Amino acid sequence: MQSILSATHLTKSFSTPEGRPFTVLDDIDLELKEGEIVALLGRSGSGKSTLLRCLSGLVRPSWGEVRYRGQRVKGPMPGMAMVFQNFALFPWLTVQQNVELGLEAMGVPAPQRRRRALEVIDLIGLDGFEKAFPKELSGGMRQRVGFARALVTNPDILFMDEPFSALDVLTAESLRDELLELWSERRIPTRSILLVTHNIEEAVLLADRILVLSANPGRLMAEVTVPLPYPRKREHPVFVERVEQVYRILTTRPGLEQPPAEAIGIGHRLPRAPIGALEGLLERVAEGPGFGREDLSKLAGEMQLEVDELFPLLDAAELLGLAVVQEGDIRLSPLGQRFAAASSNTRKKIFAERMLLSVPLVGHIHRVLQTRPNGRAPEERFVRELEDYMPTEEALAVLAIAIDWGRYAELFEYDYNAGVLYGEGAPSPGT
Amino acid sequence: MRRLFPSPDSLRPRAPFSRWDLVVIPGILVLLSLLTVALEGATQPFGPRSPDLTVSLEPVYLPYYSLRSLLRMLLAILLSLSFTFVYGSIAAKVPRSERVLIALLDFLQSLPILGFLTASTAIFVGLFRGSLFGLEAASIFAIFTSQVWNMTFSFYSALKTVPKELVEAAAMLRLSPWQRLWKLEVPYAMPGLVWNAMMSVSGGWFFVVASEVISVAGREREQYLPGVGSYIALAIQQADVRAMIWAGISLFLLVLLYDQLFFRPVVAWAEKFRLEQSGAANTARSWVLTLLQRARLTQRIARLPAALWEWLWLCSARFSRVGSALEGRLTRRRRERLADLGFNLGLAVASLSLLGVLLSYLFGPGLGFQGGRMLQPNPNLNRNFSPELARRFASLGIAPGADRTVWLSQLCAASQGGQVVREEMRTLLHEPEVGAPANLVEACSRPLAPTGKVAWPEVWEVLKYGLCTMLRVSAMVLLAACLWTPIGVYVGLRPTVAQWAQPLAQFGAAFPANLLFPLFVVALANLRLNPEFWLSPLMVLGTQWYLLFNVVAAAMTLPNDLKEAARMHGLSGWAWWRRLVLPATFPALVTGGITAAGGSWNASIVAERVSWGSTTLVATGLGAYIAHWSTGAFNPHVGLGMLVMGLLVLAYNRLLWQPLYRLAEERYRLD
Ligand SMILES: Nc1ncnc2c1ncn2[C@@H]1O[C@H](COP(=O)(O)OP(=O)(O)OP(=O)(O)O)[C@@H](O)[C@H]1O
Ligand SMILES: [Mg+2]
Repeated sequence: MQSILSATHLTKSFSTPEGRPFTVLDDIDLELKEGEIVALLGRSGSGKSTLLRCLSGLVRPSWGEVRYRGQRVKGPMPGMAMVFQNFALFPWLTVQQNVELGLEAMGVPAPQRRRRALEVIDLIGLDGFEKAFPKELSGGMRQRVGFARALVTNPDILFMDEPFSALDVLTAESLRDELLELWSERRIPTRSILLVTHNIEEAVLLADRILVLSANPGRLMAEVTVPLPYPRKREHPVFVERVEQVYRILTTRPGLEQPPAEAIGIGHRLPRAPIGALEGLLERVAEGPGFGREDLSKLAGEMQLEVDELFPLLDAAELLGLAVVQEGDIRLSPLGQRFAAASSNTRKKIFAERMLLSVPLVGHIHRVLQTRPNGRAPEERFVRELEDYMPTEEALAVLAIAIDWGRYAELFEYDYNAGVLYGEGAPSPGT
Repeated sequence: MRRLFPSPDSLRPRAPFSRWDLVVIPGILVLLSLLTVALEGATQPFGPRSPDLTVSLEPVYLPYYSLRSLLRMLLAILLSLSFTFVYGSIAAKVPRSERVLIALLDFLQSLPILGFLTASTAIFVGLFRGSLFGLEAASIFAIFTSQVWNMTFSFYSALKTVPKELVEAAAMLRLSPWQRLWKLEVPYAMPGLVWNAMMSVSGGWFFVVASEVISVAGREREQYLPGVGSYIALAIQQADVRAMIWAGISLFLLVLLYDQLFFRPVVAWAEKFRLEQSGAANTARSWVLTLLQRARLTQRIARLPAALWEWLWLCSARFSRVGSALEGRLTRRRRERLADLGFNLGLAVASLSLLGVLLSYLFGPGLGFQGGRMLQPNPNLNRNFSPELARRFASLGIAPGADRTVWLSQLCAASQGGQVVREEMRTLLHEPEVGAPANLVEACSRPLAPTGKVAWPEVWEVLKYGLCTMLRVSAMVLLAACLWTPIGVYVGLRPTVAQWAQPLAQFGAAFPANLLFPLFVVALANLRLNPEFWLSPLMVLGTQWYLLFNVVAAAMTLPNDLKEAARMHGLSGWAWWRRLVLPATFPALVTGGITAAGGSWNASIVAERVSWGSTTLVATGLGAYIAHWSTGAFNPHVGLGMLVMGLLVLAYNRLLWQPLYRLAEERYRLD
């Protein structure tokens, strides 16, 4: 089959505030062929959105190249269109004006513009809402406008960045079905779709191929093909098997047998795991039918967790030595078992011990605060240290996690107004 | 709301006019003819031989004067908008320009506005030689400088904060820069821009009144441009109470008209650009907008440029060209650094040389200041005379200075106080380039001291003045805050009261407070009160309203659940204030305080030196200092005063208001 879009040796790095490059995508080769839907899966922060933006020409890669039908991509090409997670509609334009926008850029004169826009509005099921403003519409209807705006230019290739994740489950389902209908009945001229998602089931429902991205730096880790005709049934054995397979891939670390307890430094990106959710997960696994062992796809379905919510929890549990994740299963360690059964105070103690041992950043903060005579340090100090390894936003996020965990474990306190960390027992600067 | 059936209206055959047009068509015609009249008046010839401009205190002329003032206002706001678009776009889009342009903007907006009047008059008079429009332009420019900075800031920061997803959508749709500007950037900036323009216009009325009386180099008398401001100035000079009342009435009507006919409609229209994805609760309404939207003629007129627009639109379209990426390749760091270094070096050299020029302009043998006392300024006849004229002056025994400047004092000396004017001298004085006072004897009878340059001791003196003014501004803003917060909260918590109090406060902010200054003068003079102290309230007279209406707005939007929670916990009295009301209104108080303080600094030039008839009261301060030297041409003293005030305001904002603002943003925001 003919290739529409191809990337070779695609690498993208940003630079930290210190000027050090930090690689998000590393040497990616991929190809989009005529007539296929490809899904990009990966953990949060693995660079899925960045990859999508590199392929669509919104962002120029640092190295390597992207070709669209043989032409080198240096910016968004005619024939490309994108659907956004939060719709990206222009709130001051009516539905029709929003839809016409893509045609205006192509220099289509007004009468044709209007005719074509109305056609697509009709196709997408928006008729009657032409004169409405986006703020009058529900989320599902807004994303319909997003689709109409993308499809009005008859795009050859359609990029979608988590198009259904801002919608509720039912709306997402129906919109997905409609898209598949248009696609499989060939009512839209689009020849290829690239979709970023957090939802493994969604990927298996829609895609012919699923590309799994590893994190830090993002590399293509695996490819899963789904040879099922549309519409796909969730109960189909192949479907179930593919979902399992994706979980297995996402939980297998290539080349690392040991959890990297020693290898990480203070620049390790701590997983964004809220304490409450982590406790909930461990309790559920400990008390579940598997007695401390659980299948991840089942767990995710039951707790309604998507990849970006589930995996940070798993990472945190592993990092702290509370559980081991392997082959699509989670297994509590003896410590994890003890943690799940313990009272709140004991939990905090276990947490504190484990963190000082295996989370270098928390240990570092703790040490600094102890060596200071007044037991206090401004947060900027740590942000600056983290900025050696990552961009500012990321550094702030990582520090926020460390603070959240440290507070829970009662290792240190944090004064939000003053932006100061202080050791347990040191006088609060705010009072 | 969706209609299931077409409304009967739409089935009726459409006449080209509706009954709304009965109002709109005559309205438009009247507006057009008024505009013509005003423009005609503003572009009359005005040369060196033209008689001095003056106004009449007859109230019948007031409508015409109002019209002229209104025209100045209109031109100033148009100019501000154009400047905003250009400057804001460049600062936001051209890499590296931001660093210079934004710092410059920050400094310019701290400069005292009325100081610009002296600086710009000569330029504009030279630019529009022979036309009255030179003076008009100077006045308009002063109003412009009072309006433009906050609008530009608002536009710039909107450009910098356009949501990333919308930017990406625009890039993906391959909108051309022109299309992106009008479909994305300007609409996004619109609510902030309209709000700021409204603030600006409110402040602008104050400066219309203060900037219509202009001193022109070489003319002995001040020029009174036809306008309400000149009318008021003359009334003050002649201590004419009746005229002051008439001026008050016409200003009242003027502000009201401007608000109803111009700003209400614009604000109501700008509602649709709000980004919130939900229906807003209290949308602004305007009867004029409704009228315009219902009248068919205006709809037709509005559609006339559509063809041109469409043409421009399609010209800029990309057709099948490739769009532009949002972010280029990671440029090679070495080259980037080098370019950066070069840019910074260039910047440093440029600012150093600018500083050098400025210092050498300002400092030198100080003649305007002697023994701790300031002398009367000595105007020059003109600077930079042609060699031919300079030679003729020299032949009369008046040696022009190094920059070929001739001072009035020299002329007085050569003509023995204006008593002996020989024939050659008379012809020379009537040359168009030479601005000699009409009554030389009278001009020479006043004690004159050449302005000269600034001596170092004067700088310390000026700094001291600056601190006096700073003290006044701070004390008065604090006082106003203490006064208006309880009132504002009281009003804001009662929706029915707030409904009429809010527009009233906005009106108060727009109504030029300088009209009320003479009242103070009379009162202070009669009661023999100390002007050093009692002139201070004048500075916040016009700007205190910003505090009031910000607090009212904050109290109005105090969430109900917070109020209920406070009641449940039995908060009352001081605890209620401390725990609920003060934190909730703090951001509004800071925003209002920033505006009020900025306005007060500017007002100090007219508020520290006020007069009524022959009584003039002066309070020691930087404003009074600038006012003192603002007679005639721009001189190093005015320059020094402006510079010091600019730096002080900058420091004041950085050290006081910015931390407060950050605190308010981080801690007390309610969303
Ligand atoms: N413009 C940028 N400058 C600096 N770093 C960036 C930029 N854009 C993305 N990153 C970084 O690149 C990494 C990948 O981001 P990206 O948004 O592509 O991940 P993602 O897989 O889409 O994550 P998510 O699932 O949360 O959407 C993150 O660490 C992010 O901080
Ligand atoms: Mg993403």
